Amino acid sequence: MNIHTPTERSVQVLGIDAGGTMTDTFFVDSDGDFVVGKAQSTPQNEALGLIASSEDGLGAWGLSLDAALKQLQTGVYSGTAMLNRVVQRKGLRCGLIVNRGMEDFHRMGRAIQAYLGYAYEDRIHLNTHRYDPPLVPRNLTRGVIERVDMSGTVVIPLREETAREAARELIAADVEGIVISLLHSYKNPDHERRVRDIVTEEIAESGKSIPVFASADYYPVRKETHRTNTTILEGYAAEPSRQTLKKISDAFKEHGTKFDFRVMATHGGTISWKAKELARTIVSGPIGGVIGAKYLGEVLGYNNIACSDIGGTSFDVALITQGELTIKNDPDMARLVLSLPLVAMDSVGAGAGSFIRLDPYTKAIKLGPDSAGYRVGVCWKESGIETVTISDCHMVLGYLNPDNFLGGAVKLDRQRSVDAIKVQLADPLGLSVEDAAAGVIELLDSDLRDYLRSMISGKGYSPQSFVCFSYGGAGPVHTYGYTEGLGFEDVIVPAWAAGFSAFGCAAADFEYRYDKSLDINLAPDAPAAQREAAAKTLQAAWEELTRNVLEEFKLNGYEPEQVTLTPGYRMQYRGQLNDLEIESPLGNAGTADDWEQLQDAFNATYGRVYAASARSPELGYSVTGAIMRGAVPIPKPKIPKEPLEGETPPEDAKTGTRKFYRKKRWVDAQLYRMEALRPGNRVTGPAIIESDATTFVVPDGFETFLDGHRLFHLREV
Amino acid sequence: MAYTRAKIADLVDGKIDHDTLHQMLSTPKDPERFATYIEILQDRVPWDDRIVLPLGPKLYIVQLKTSKQWMIRCECGHDFCGWRENWKLHARIHVRDTPEKLEQIYPRLMAPTSTWQVLREYYCPECGTLHDVEAPTPWYPVIRDFEPDIDTFYKDWLGLQVPERAEAA
Repeated sequence: MNIHTPTERSVQVLGIDAGGTMTDTFFVDSDGDFVVGKAQSTPQNEALGLIASSEDGLGAWGLSLDAALKQLQTGVYSGTAMLNRVVQRKGLRCGLIVNRGMEDFHRMGRAIQAYLGYAYEDRIHLNTHRYDPPLVPRNLTRGVIERVDMSGTVVIPLREETAREAARELIAADVEGIVISLLHSYKNPDHERRVRDIVTEEIAESGKSIPVFASADYYPVRKETHRTNTTILEGYAAEPSRQTLKKISDAFKEHGTKFDFRVMATHGGTISWKAKELARTIVSGPIGGVIGAKYLGEVLGYNNIACSDIGGTSFDVALITQGELTIKNDPDMARLVLSLPLVAMDSVGAGAGSFIRLDPYTKAIKLGPDSAGYRVGVCWKESGIETVTISDCHMVLGYLNPDNFLGGAVKLDRQRSVDAIKVQLADPLGLSVEDAAAGVIELLDSDLRDYLRSMISGKGYSPQSFVCFSYGGAGPVHTYGYTEGLGFEDVIVPAWAAGFSAFGCAAADFEYRYDKSLDINLAPDAPAAQREAAAKTLQAAWEELTRNVLEEFKLNGYEPEQVTLTPGYRMQYRGQLNDLEIESPLGNAGTADDWEQLQDAFNATYGRVYAASARSPELGYSVTGAIMRGAVPIPKPKIPKEPLEGETPPEDAKTGTRKFYRKKRWVDAQLYRMEALRPGNRVTGPAIIESDATTFVVPDGFETFLDGHRLFHLREV
Repeated sequence: MAYTRAKIADLVDGKIDHDTLHQMLSTPKDPERFATYIEILQDRVPWDDRIVLPLGPKLYIVQLKTSKQWMIRCECGHDFCGWRENWKLHARIHVRDTPEKLEQIYPRLMAPTSTWQVLREYYCPECGTLHDVEAPTPWYPVIRDFEPDIDTFYKDWLGLQVPERAEAA
């Protein structure tokens, strides 16, 4: 960790997590040692925060930015730039071509888009529902005459002159991108591709340069609004983000890096900023932690992991079961329904920066849903924040060190928190300041605990079979609170918790993934010829997707033989509503026997995810989609392995004591410097283990043990 | 937290951005809101009788300055009736009960069938403001929309004194 002597160190991997609050960097050297850098995010020019964060991290190793960046082999970025562009509707001016008569469907959207992203109270509060302006306005939408039905049969042939007319009008309107999305084009893409070619011809004739995006080339999946929204995002938001990423890449190149940045994508792999399908990087930050937990689990042998992350604005939970992530196929982002494979994650809007207010009528404490984000709370004078936040309660109760927030980069004032909590919470409630603050923390802990429990039990599991990973800047502050009494097999706080998402980015594969919808339906007694035909249909889809994947790698200079391809499919029992994503046991499928093997793999997974007795092969099988993933090897961080030393922490790790309030009494909590603790050390609460970027709270009744991988294990005693 | 008068005025005018509006809708109402709101409305009407309660965008229950009687009044100053009556019975009523009248405002086949449903429009007899539209079955009586319990609202909800009221003779 951060205490090594600055000798012959070769920095290999850089992971970046540019969140809404903090920009974290995570550097790994050739021995697998790593260091975390933190700086406040700079949304106006992300490169600034990134460079500052890198300098912070490398400074701990005694390295200069330029010296270290020259050695880097690879770097992965995850951040919120594209998401913000979509949320603020600041994308490019795109034109949209759809079926004639269907020109309003994008503008109308799906009804759920009127309340996506809302807290439950607002979802049932109809007055708050609203439709956002569409990504493409109606006056830049054109219809062409054609119709393909849901089986892929041509019902009305394409009237090419209508496509030409649509193209000419949009070109004349000076659009910066043209998106084509026709009904059922995932099933039969012929008309859509013909329209694409006509549009391309017309653009060439006009002498302009306008990119064209046909949904069948990008996201050939069912659900018109999802597919159209996602394809529009390619033109609307991904193209400008490509420029942002290029800027970041260039800023680092100026400091000596020699590689192209990769970006964390929704499916959990990383892709190049040059990728064709860049819209799938729209959300990436929180996924990093899940990938990091999965990687750590693979190396150390944890199969079932509950990942929990508290940042400034939200609490995110994801489950890894039997070493596998859950992928959600129609997620929503920025109040849009989309067709992207997304690592499934649940969030509640409760983080360290969440505002605390009292309901003026009932005097009930209300947490969030809005938050101070990177502006911490009232305790930071320069923030301009006037409403108290969770961080202010931490301040009052002695959880946080006012002089060591971000290693002292931001000076916090405990007295400001005390005064604000007194006026806003304690006096109206008739409580002392510390009891009011402790009440808020207890409420938050129990909210998070209930949420974690319901999430795990809602999926049919019990916490006893899970290891809980807790990370994020504020995760370890609350680990004891939201895991207490749940009975997890183990509770683990990585010593690099604050940079865990960035670590996950560095640990992610360089992987492209393409999806395609299919409608294969087979009765349980389907004859061999039908099973063979089904296998061939799947194989044809895999081949189409393989071409896409290889094309992406070609853009980054990889030859097809360097790419490891992993085919997959989505299968369900006929008539059931939910499918499962299965990694194919076969590289190719083409015979009735192959089909049997695909069924068997599905049955095995189904039995594991639900229960063996719930399997229903008598219903027959449906395949709803084909998946192709391709990966190339890249350097990854090594997990440290150090020999265990004694249980007693070294004296130089102790940095004094601080008054700490919990359960109606003040105690003196022993303070430790996280970096000075040695593997094998055991710390009994009340103790607070501090590092520059995170604080790990071990209250009385708990103890923690630091193992040789620099993971803290927390348990109740 | 109390909003400024200007903010509430913007709210009345529909000039607030979505995010702020959402926050205002989702957070508990500030205690002074009603008083501020009524003050703004009072400033905007051309008469100076006190507004007791707004009933619609241009319709109010007011307290007559001289007699302290409560009346239902249009923004233009026209008094429909006493506050306990159904003002609609004192309005000009236009009933769209034939296909021709319905197709003045809806395309053919997108209007209701007039033998099943009619539209009744209630106008101010003086200024012609359309105050309300009903869409009932043809035989249905005039609907009484709202009978506010103003005493409870003022006393128990707002903690304000109920304005003086002289019952009509």
